[in-house]
Amino acid sequence: MAEERICRETIRYLGYREHRPDPQMEKLIAWGIHETEQKSVPAFIVQEFTMELGEKHRVRIGDEAFISQNLSRNLQDCEKVLLLAATLGAQVDRLIQKYSRLDMAKAVILQAAAAAILEEYCDEKNRELQQKAEEQGWYFRPRFSPGYGDFPIDFQKTLLAMLSAQKRIGVTTTESGMLVPVKSVTAVIGMSRRDTKCRLSGCETCGKRDCIYRRSTSVPLENAKEE
Amino acid sequence: MFIDQLGKTILFFDGGMGTLLQEQGLKPGELPEEWNLTHREAVIQIHRSYVEAGSDILLTNTFGANALKFHSKEHTLEEVISAAVANAREGARLGSQGKRDVYIAFDIGPTGKLLKPLGDLEFERACEVFREAAMLGERAGADLIHIETMSDTYEVKAAVLAARESTSLPVMVTLIFDSHGKLLTGGDIPSVTALLEGLRVDAIGLNCGLGPKEMLPLLKELRQYTSLPIVIKPNAGLPVQRNGETCYDVTPEEFAGWMEQIVDNGACVIGGCCGTTPEHIRAMAERCRGRKILRPEKKNHTIVSSYGKAVIFREAPLIIGERINPTGKKKLKKALKDGQMDYILDEAAEQEDCGAHILDINVGLPGIDEPSMMMQVIQEVQGITNLPLQIDTVDEKAMEAAMRIYNGKPMVNSVNGKQASMDMVFPLIKKYGGVVVALTLDEKGIPQTAEGRADIAGWIIKEAEKYGIERKDIIIDVLTMAVSADPEGARITLDALRLVRERYHVHTVLGVSNISFGLPNRPLLNANFFTMAMQAGLSAGIINPASEMMMQAYRSFCALMHYDEDFTAYIDGYGERRLELTDQERISDLAVKGDSESKKICAATQPGEWQVQKKDVLLLLQHAIQKGLKEEAGRQTKECLRTKAPMDIISEGLVPALDTVGKGFENGTVFLPQLLMSAEAAKQAFAILKEILPQGEADNGQKPRIILATVKGDIHDIGKNIVKVLLENYGFAVIDLGKDVPPETIVETAVQEDVKLAGLSALMTTTVPSMEKTIRLLNEKKPDCKVMVGGAVLNQEYADSIHADFYGKDAMQSVYYAKELFGI
Repeated sequence: MAEERICRETIRYLGYREHRPDPQMEKLIAWGIHETEQKSVPAFIVQEFTMELGEKHRVRIGDEAFISQNLSRNLQDCEKVLLLAATLGAQVDRLIQKYSRLDMAKAVILQAAAAAILEEYCDEKNRELQQKAEEQGWYFRPRFSPGYGDFPIDFQKTLLAMLSAQKRIGVTTTESGMLVPVKSVTAVIGMSRRDTKCRLSGCETCGKRDCIYRRSTSVPLENAKEE
Repeated sequence: MFIDQLGKTILFFDGGMGTLLQEQGLKPGELPEEWNLTHREAVIQIHRSYVEAGSDILLTNTFGANALKFHSKEHTLEEVISAAVANAREGARLGSQGKRDVYIAFDIGPTGKLLKPLGDLEFERACEVFREAAMLGERAGADLIHIETMSDTYEVKAAVLAARESTSLPVMVTLIFDSHGKLLTGGDIPSVTALLEGLRVDAIGLNCGLGPKEMLPLLKELRQYTSLPIVIKPNAGLPVQRNGETCYDVTPEEFAGWMEQIVDNGACVIGGCCGTTPEHIRAMAERCRGRKILRPEKKNHTIVSSYGKAVIFREAPLIIGERINPTGKKKLKKALKDGQMDYILDEAAEQEDCGAHILDINVGLPGIDEPSMMMQVIQEVQGITNLPLQIDTVDEKAMEAAMRIYNGKPMVNSVNGKQASMDMVFPLIKKYGGVVVALTLDEKGIPQTAEGRADIAGWIIKEAEKYGIERKDIIIDVLTMAVSADPEGARITLDALRLVRERYHVHTVLGVSNISFGLPNRPLLNANFFTMAMQAGLSAGIINPASEMMMQAYRSFCALMHYDEDFTAYIDGYGERRLELTDQERISDLAVKGDSESKKICAATQPGEWQVQKKDVLLLLQHAIQKGLKEEAGRQTKECLRTKAPMDIISEGLVPALDTVGKGFENGTVFLPQLLMSAEAAKQAFAILKEILPQGEADNGQKPRIILATVKGDIHDIGKNIVKVLLENYGFAVIDLGKDVPPETIVETAVQEDVKLAGLSALMTTTVPSMEKTIRLLNEKKPDCKVMVGGAVLNQEYADSIHADFYGKDAMQSVYYAKELFGI
């Protein structure tokens, strides 16, 4: 199941849309997924924080406050949040860097495979946490990452510091706020007592609808910001 | 003195600091180091309670006190560090009442940044930051330096070098391993041990990440490799999430029980990390006080390492790839002169694929800036392989520069029995660590007898001892002489090998292929001599691993001598099983699955042979490129050359094929990986044609040149690299400046090289400003240089707003723009 999803997502990230890769390419994609999995050392941390929504889309998480209309909407009716960080580890970056110098076709396949594997890993962790939380009457909002919509990307550094992510799973940022290892994710998950049946997350919440990488979906995009 | 007790008696470290500060009100994300000044009493109290619990060593509250991590508006680094040492000193005084010695260890934690090439931190910048902190720590009165919680070999190397260069304090290092014994950046226990012992640290160990139970097996492994005192500081178990809090559940009594076992297995400095409290330390100290420790034991492993791999010299011989050495290699000479890294990297990758264990790096050429070229090649090669490298140079500056930036414990080629050589090389080995190749020659030349060479080996070993360099770090090269010049040459070398092995119990190395110089069919002599040398005790051969005969000799020797468990390597090399499909198999595969073009090719192919009928050679080349078959494209190009001129092959074969693929990409019938596979296949074809074309026509100087760079602050360079491959395919000479490139570098290059087009990429909104700055600067200093931009966050409007001349929504668009601009 998971393997199939990873394969499908890798193909999507490679820009194939509804097309199927030829058998030769399928083999290469399978190679890429296998190589990436071999080099992955997935790690994940999550911690609960208090939150508050204020006037004019003000969001407070822990002791940090900022403005974001998109995140405000995502966290509507929530009482607390989980902050999380996940990574596939530095070896995957090395693998992609290596092929960037030797064979670009392989590099883009590895890069897509890594993105798919990381997403699957986060989904899996998300489901586990969600299940536990629901037993105690909490409902999850879709994962929302710094940089989505108007959620300030600067929050990435703060979030990592709040989780001691460098020490615990080795996730850092560059001066400009990019995550290193590159195949890492940070996100906020709102927790609410109300189940809103909102199941949209990631790709589908983005306003860029003509994107060639978009997941095919017919769900109306109420939460999406128009650009 | 601390150093007198280290390794001779049990010493108790303290426990967690962060968790205790949080209990006192430190908030997540707040700088704990600031508390040294703002909550002095609280910090002193924690130190004091550890001393009262039994700690002999206190770690200062300076984990994040470095210029990259500590950004305070109120306090300087110096204020924080001197307060931190003073607080620890005060806690020690209060806790011990002056009745026993308590040592203050200045704590150095990671910078919080990843070093290049993974992150954006320069190695020398990391050294500088650590130097500053270490110096302030010593000045404030610390007794030793403790570098801890490190997860990257490169960063830990920077920290140790810095501590050594700026202080005279003892240095202990502990790293954070996972339960499989791996660092986050891939290093394992043998490779880390080799690196740190090479850098001459005083103690080595583990902290954080794991509980004592999980550390126990890692400690046992560490003890197998290290000759140094061992430090163990576990967490109070593995973290457990409870009600949104991170908890550590191992109780003080349990902790003490485990730590007792830890002492029995070889640790002599013990303490705790996250989740441990004075109660843990008290229980541990009560349980372990007076316990007999295992003294550190000398180990004799010869180990070279890279960031992620240790190569240990054991009984089975090893292969050192010799091909990155310009002597007698025209193409490599040209690549070095032109700074063509791709060729060098391909050589490195191929040698690894062929089975090399270590790669020799020699870039010595007249007229080349060897130190800077050596550094560049070392860094680039380490970017694509985790094989340890052998730094091969006679240039002192190049040797030191390379040893300094090398990520791991290198092999160094070479020292010899001349006093001047030893005076130059040994201090470098002492400072940076390394396994050095020692040539048995001296001021009088190369002795004609085995005895004479062995004597020089002995002399070198003795001289090395003066520097504290052990014989495990010396590999003797008794030198291979051409038999054509001296018929006794092979015999002397083999005798010397045996003698040196017996007399000094050292490892040996030989450059094998010199033996056949001046005789025909050299591979035959080389391979046989290689076998004889291995039989005589050769530990490592410097050979060409792409030479089939050499590898046959090697694999046969290993198979026959029971060095190849289950004959795995032998069967992999020569058995029926094939791991990767050849192009021919791929084509037949495609044909079976109904691909009509492939069917045609299969029909045209004679069974068992891969020959084609003359008529459609160009068609077949086009097909190979369109299908992205690299090897096949190379073969077809050679086939075409029998009947066609190189320029015609380009215009009638390559260009139409690339155009078809490019159009397919635009129409959405060909996708990115296929486009790139075709590009790689075409690259293969071009490489072959380039060798045949007359200099002028193939020369880069004739082609329009384009700068490509990922802008300052941005480390995502996949997009830029895609564009590069395609532009090169279409005949442009790309000056690739890499990633995280300052605007000034781009502008300077454009001016110096008089470049008319620069392509810039940026992935995130946060890095677009540096793209904008680059464009502004280019417009000012080099107005005739056009700028094309691309990257995930960009669109036409955004590109217009930063005044780019062209926005490429995908890689092909930049090719079309460049073609239009240069009128091709």
